[in-house]
Amino acid sequence: MAQIFPEWVDNIPKRLQLATIIVITGIIFGFWYFGSPEYLEVGYAPNQPIPYSHKFHVSELGMDCQYCHGSAWKSAIAAIPPTETCMTCHEYVAVDSEPLQPLRDSWETGLPVEWIRVHDIPDHAHFNHSIHVNVGIGCVTCHGRVDRMEVVMKSESMSMGWCLDCHNNPAPHLRPVEEVTNMAWEPPDDHYQFAQMVIEKRNINAPIYCNACHR
Amino acid sequence: MGKEQQQTYWRSLNELAQNEEYRKFVEREFPENATELTDGVSRRNFLQIMGASIALAGLAACRKPVQKILPYTRQPEHIVPGIPLYYASAVPFRGNLSGVVVETHEGRPTKIEGNDLHPGSNGKSNIRQQAAILDLYDQDRSRKVLRNGSDSTWEDFTAFCREHFADTGRRVAFLSEAHSSPTLERLRQSALNRFPNARWVTCEPFSEESVLNGTAMAFGRRLRPSYHFDKASVTLSLDDDFLQDSDNDVAHIGAFAQSRALASPDEEPSRLYAAESTYSLTGSNADHRLRIKSSEIPLFTFALAAHLSGEVSGLEAYAGYRNTFSDHSWISVLAEELMRNRGSSIITAGPEHDAPVHATVAAINHALGNTGQTVEYLDVPYTATADQNEAFAGLVREMGEGQIDTLVMIGTNPVYTAPADLDFQTALEQVPESLHLSLHYDETSRQSSWHVNRAHFLETWGDGHSFTGVRSVIQPLIQPLFNGKSETEFLNAVLSGEDAAGHQLVRETWQELLDGPFERGWNEVLHDGLQRGSRYNAVSVSLAGSFSAEAAGFLEAAEEPGGDSVELVVRPDPRMHDGRFANNGWLQELPDPMTKVTWDNVALMSPNTAERFGIPPTRRFGDPNQMVVRLRTASGDEAEIAAWVLPGHADNSITLHAGYGRQKVGRVADQVGVNVFPLRRSVSRLYCTAADVSATGRSYVIACTQDHHSLEGRPHVQDADLDHYRENPTFAQDAVYVPGIYGDREHPVSLFDDKQWPDHQPQWGMAIDLNACIGCGVCTIACQAENNIPVIGKREVRRGREMHWIRTDRYFRGDERGNPQVMHQPVPCMHCENAPCEQVCPVAATTHSDDGLNQMTYNRCIGTRYCANNCPYKVRRFNFFNYSKEYLTTGDDPEIIQMAMNPDVTVRFRGVMEKCTYCVQRISRAKIDTKNETGDTVKPSDGTVKTACQQACPANAITFGDLTDEKSIVSIQKSKDRNYLMLEELNVRPRTSYLAKIRNPNRQLSEPS
Repeated sequence: MAQIFPEWVDNIPKRLQLATIIVITGIIFGFWYFGSPEYLEVGYAPNQPIPYSHKFHVSELGMDCQYCHGSAWKSAIAAIPPTETCMTCHEYVAVDSEPLQPLRDSWETGLPVEWIRVHDIPDHAHFNHSIHVNVGIGCVTCHGRVDRMEVVMKSESMSMGWCLDCHNNPAPHLRPVEEVTNMAWEPPDDHYQFAQMVIEKRNINAPIYCNACHR
Repeated sequence: MGKEQQQTYWRSLNELAQNEEYRKFVEREFPENATELTDGVSRRNFLQIMGASIALAGLAACRKPVQKILPYTRQPEHIVPGIPLYYASAVPFRGNLSGVVVETHEGRPTKIEGNDLHPGSNGKSNIRQQAAILDLYDQDRSRKVLRNGSDSTWEDFTAFCREHFADTGRRVAFLSEAHSSPTLERLRQSALNRFPNARWVTCEPFSEESVLNGTAMAFGRRLRPSYHFDKASVTLSLDDDFLQDSDNDVAHIGAFAQSRALASPDEEPSRLYAAESTYSLTGSNADHRLRIKSSEIPLFTFALAAHLSGEVSGLEAYAGYRNTFSDHSWISVLAEELMRNRGSSIITAGPEHDAPVHATVAAINHALGNTGQTVEYLDVPYTATADQNEAFAGLVREMGEGQIDTLVMIGTNPVYTAPADLDFQTALEQVPESLHLSLHYDETSRQSSWHVNRAHFLETWGDGHSFTGVRSVIQPLIQPLFNGKSETEFLNAVLSGEDAAGHQLVRETWQELLDGPFERGWNEVLHDGLQRGSRYNAVSVSLAGSFSAEAAGFLEAAEEPGGDSVELVVRPDPRMHDGRFANNGWLQELPDPMTKVTWDNVALMSPNTAERFGIPPTRRFGDPNQMVVRLRTASGDEAEIAAWVLPGHADNSITLHAGYGRQKVGRVADQVGVNVFPLRRSVSRLYCTAADVSATGRSYVIACTQDHHSLEGRPHVQDADLDHYRENPTFAQDAVYVPGIYGDREHPVSLFDDKQWPDHQPQWGMAIDLNACIGCGVCTIACQAENNIPVIGKREVRRGREMHWIRTDRYFRGDERGNPQVMHQPVPCMHCENAPCEQVCPVAATTHSDDGLNQMTYNRCIGTRYCANNCPYKVRRFNFFNYSKEYLTTGDDPEIIQMAMNPDVTVRFRGVMEKCTYCVQRISRAKIDTKNETGDTVKPSDGTVKTACQQACPANAITFGDLTDEKSIVSIQKSKDRNYLMLEELNVRPRTSYLAKIRNPNRQLSEPS
């Protein structure tokens, strides 16, 4: 009896198996890579209603983070400053600047400037700025070199794994409290000793239990 | 407790009967069909919707949602985003204020707590005050001024007032709620001056008028008795629920709990006797309780006075008087006890009882030398000089006769609350112009020619006095959400036709009330929440010369009740009061402290009375259908209401709670329960004789939580008599055999490895003193407000899905046909160290934290409900539906209710388990603040962290703190001999422990009847 199927058909199951493995691996890898917070989150830099340049205000004018975001030292929230803070200077400086029109509108109407949120963690995670900056975690550790950004960009994934990396081993990220806002600070050679001293003296035990953030 | 004293506790008669359905019921974690998706969205429909929403979600998720940050333009002083601010204010209720401190998040009030400085509050609060936040954000509040039912404006109203009241000769009647506001009083005076033909009547359905009439009878002046329960060794309550139905309940509970506090067996707690018809909260805390009909209370009181008249002077008017109670065993025992405790006893009577009862009570208290010791008589300048219930009846008569041109109603809802025989509604129709200020467009607003929407007290300025006369300013926390007007602004507009701000009106009044520089004094009052040193004058009293004659008169008139006639007793509801809180979901869903019924009122009766009318006391277990009875008064007024058998209720007496059955008021209040005001009469308001009681044969579904979360009869509440406690102080710990204890009670053998707690962390624990707890349920409401707990509605409650993180279990013990004892036990999560829930969670969504909390991680939970199944205390709650979404996103203005949410607590989603967290958001805040301040520790000092339930509890029953600190209050509480662990034999090592209740019975009255 003649063969119904040609010989090459015998290879189909083998090839199918191989193809399946490749496709599944591809899908898994695809999700793992393209679905990760590192891929999805890092680099998010939306255009703001006012093209406020951190690079200009911080690097060139030398303004400190606390001038605008001072609540980070007291509260969970590092608040965006009120229009009033901007107007302390811009009532006198760049008064006719076209890009600053939304700011002046806000000042006149009393309606807020609608900034677009860059760093957003889920509602079920409760992050507190004050406890971090007061023990010496620098702004740059989580927010990157904001002093070099024309447009604020998310520079870290801010995923739970990323949080836990530091909570499991905070030592490399600790710095003297007075250097918290210093974007250019580099750890000295004896940083390890310094960090151990701070951890001991300030009793730093970054919590890794769920309720520390989720409640 | 010894074997011979082993006692069984039961929650319902059906449980006591232990029938087949009961066994089936307790085996199931949730009642039958509760786990099925049968309502709202049917299963098939649900799958379709789910399919569609997955498809949509898949596409929608490709875009990152853009979130905006809207900063202030000009940041208000003191506001730091993320840090709440606290302002002192005051909550008015029936004309009396209670000092509170309100938490606001960026200008949005979210939580009310008591004011530590305020003597009426001492930092504590009650359910009404806790729930007031929800009233503020009630979407159903009236939002506009209405003229004969059609839209109008405040400007039109003021224009109308200017024109209408230009004729000062008009016969104007002002009908007002009880008040103690100096500003309102000032406006009242100018109103009465301006309109010579005007009159001012106070209308409160449940008021202290009888009490004032009673003191007027006894002492010749209308004086307010103020009781100091902390100074009393013996208290006799005559049908008086002073722990609940009182304008000073927070202070009463605190003082009462203090008088019964027991640090060691040597101390002598006070003793409480209660004679009452219904089983009230006060009665449930009594050492001896006598079941008698409310209509027999006057006789009982007179008999007691007559017995005492032979032993003390001042009661000569009662000498020789005899009635059926004269030989009652209680009378002689009480007389002896009261004589032994002269000057340190209190007798109180229910405020709704008639004046002769109050006159007699005042005379007895005075004769026993209690005046000035445990009882003070306060001269209250804000109470009228004449009986306002009579004045109200007179006003309605005149209205009906067309003698009133204009009726100005400041608050109040007389169409709903007025006694039926007055027929207020018909009388109102005869009044050409009626002006009504109210929070809701309610029954009275619909019948009025003008309706003005009222502002909530957290929205406008006001002032007033506490029960004892501490003067406060009501400070607003937010601009009126719906442009409402306060009572002072309303009355001012009526008088002047002008739109003056409440702030200005109040300040004007206070210019005269403050000494020294005004701004300084005013700011002090605002800061403290009260004017220091202010108080009503306590006056010295003596029996009026006319008292003997009056007493002879009312003793003569006292009727012996007909043997088996049935009385109908109408009382204010513990939650709804007279219906003014009916649109508050938190209060509707709070189980009644005694019956545990939610979302309804019922006709309470004893098992014997129920049988008399053909209602079987026990029914098929778990059957929510209750038989409906028809009640008819002699005047022919009827009500049909579900019957509810309450063990311990007096026979031949039926108690009805008012405040239900409201119509077209709001989505919560409408069609809930039955209006029983039609059964009330204008004289002898408390009770009347039923002309007919009959079962209708219909049944009605009641959502009652008393059998939910059953612990199946295990000995979880521990109590003993004082004598037994003195013999064996550790009776509560010894009550159960704990396997595996070899000498060391602290470390019984366990299969699980001992947990290691890091030294740097505090270890949280809680102790609940059952001896202090009176069972009011404020912990539940405080928790609900703090932790964003949704309201789920009657149908869901019936299925055992109530979401309260702390419940108060109520147990009966003893003769269900006689006078069973009652125990109250609040049950939050126990935070077991060997938590059974943690061992069964397949996804580790519930685990232990370093500071000893049993944590629930919502974002990990996949909803298997194994944890709830394995919890021996039944404290876990599951979101069967998307309750929060229903609750927070439906209605025409969902953003309003969202403002009530606590931003520090996650709002939970469907399919997620939740439970008490020991208020972890407060713990976190305290730990972070401590670390920021001290630099090196996360252990907050003792008392810094207060859980919401603890902070609210007026009895100080709940203590919470760090167990590693031996000096913390909770450690001290836990070291007391009464301390025991619930279900200790399971060795789950709960962090929450209980302190056993101690009763202080009188040996002479061994068997309470």
